[in-house]
Amino acid sequence: MKRTVIPFGPQHPVLPEPLVLDLVLEDEKVVDAIPTIGYIHRGLEMMVERVEYTEMGFVVERICGICSFMHGMGYCVSLESIMNVEVPERAGWLRLIWAEISRIQSHLLWLGLGADAFGFENLFMHCWRMREQILDVFEKTTGGRIIHSVNRIGGVKRDISDSELAAILAELQELGAAFKETARVFRTDPSIAHRLGGVGVLSMQDARAVDAVGPMARASGIATDIRLIGANYYDRIELQPVTETDGDCLARVLVRMREIDQSIDIVRQAIGKMPKGEGQAIETKVRGLPSGEVFTRLEQPRGEVLYYVKANGTKNLERFRARTPTFANIPAMIKLVKGCDLADVPNIILTIDPCISCTER
Amino acid sequence: MDGTAFLARVGAYHEAGWRLALINVTTVLPPTAAHGRAPVAEATTAVEAPGVFEIAWAFANGGEFETIREQILAGEAVPSISEFFGAAFLYENEIRELFGVNVTGIGVDLKGQLYKTATKVPFSHSAIKARLEAAAAGAVKP
Repeated sequence: MKRTVIPFGPQHPVLPEPLVLDLVLEDEKVVDAIPTIGYIHRGLEMMVERVEYTEMGFVVERICGICSFMHGMGYCVSLESIMNVEVPERAGWLRLIWAEISRIQSHLLWLGLGADAFGFENLFMHCWRMREQILDVFEKTTGGRIIHSVNRIGGVKRDISDSELAAILAELQELGAAFKETARVFRTDPSIAHRLGGVGVLSMQDARAVDAVGPMARASGIATDIRLIGANYYDRIELQPVTETDGDCLARVLVRMREIDQSIDIVRQAIGKMPKGEGQAIETKVRGLPSGEVFTRLEQPRGEVLYYVKANGTKNLERFRARTPTFANIPAMIKLVKGCDLADVPNIILTIDPCISCTER
Repeated sequence: MDGTAFLARVGAYHEAGWRLALINVTTVLPPTAAHGRAPVAEATTAVEAPGVFEIAWAFANGGEFETIREQILAGEAVPSISEFFGAAFLYENEIRELFGVNVTGIGVDLKGQLYKTATKVPFSHSAIKARLEAAAAGAVKP
């Protein structure tokens, strides 16, 4: 059969960021997909040659505007590990809380984009209105809505008072209750079920074969979640990975919706367990220059992120590497696209929740 | 690099149910060449020596995390691990395009199309040398 190549991207209505897939088609079926990235490759890893390690954290959190907080956190945790710096307990809990709030805003953002892609514009607006509330929480507590600059090597820059934490929890629980109605539409609307159900199925076996991470893997029944390792105070939180078994686009939506509820519950647990009282230490002063190397793993909203940091006793790191969850999920995306109908490609690509800025660094 | 022994070790991780977490490359520079700790003229001479890369293949299994490390000379053949780990092709295309590592037998060869970078092979020894020379000429902050 004659084959046709259709370029998907770099500009496409469902892609907020540039990505190219050369789709090789036989009639309406995709038989191959060849990815090209690099349209927004900024060479941030190379900047360690010029930017001192104390300032590099501000660069790292600019890898992406959605996972900004957790990129900054991952960088600081890596340096703290190399330099044997112990972070004050309250700072550790604050990081955990901000990380979970980041997850909520990321999932709400993605649910909105997904809804818009399959034609539910009101649903998009509801999701993004709720996300605005989360951004307001970030603005109140860090001073920034997108780039927070609140992580420091050794702790955090700002504290959140106990009364503010209680207000944040109340607001999150209110948002969680309101989200139930939005979630009901995703769960029960027949058009959404028709559009996403049984589309882009990644079996558990395939998910393992392509090393999928995050909600992508969990929607295929793999109970993987780096938070279960217990680092960064997650060992004190009761947490079960959210999994679905169908492995289709709808399952990936359901996993992310349930993770919003889960993150609200984690924030509740954290606020209940963290030491109370004003004026506690939130930062350990760091002196000296780092020497050594470390791999750090965190569970970002899109899945496992991995940082490699190598320091040689100078002000500049020798190597910094961020392997982001979208990068890890590209092989899964290609696997899903092969064999699907051309009309399903946008939804399949969206449901991996691609972040090209993260991927390209 | 003993490719056969290396692939046997990788195969053992695959058999034991580990997953590929990362393939990372570090351009090894002589100590005097790193980050302007020596006069730039000396540093640029230092990176002219045969280039060495350190490659780390990182595997994860739940909370466990291990690496296989090899130091290779620039241009030395490194076998692909695509036969064991389907996702390896992406990392292997990346390290070939960004570092110039000669990976052989990549499962899905993207033929240099993965990244669009202003500098070809930006982490190669010659590219780093060029940046050091530019820094010496005052073109960029060292």
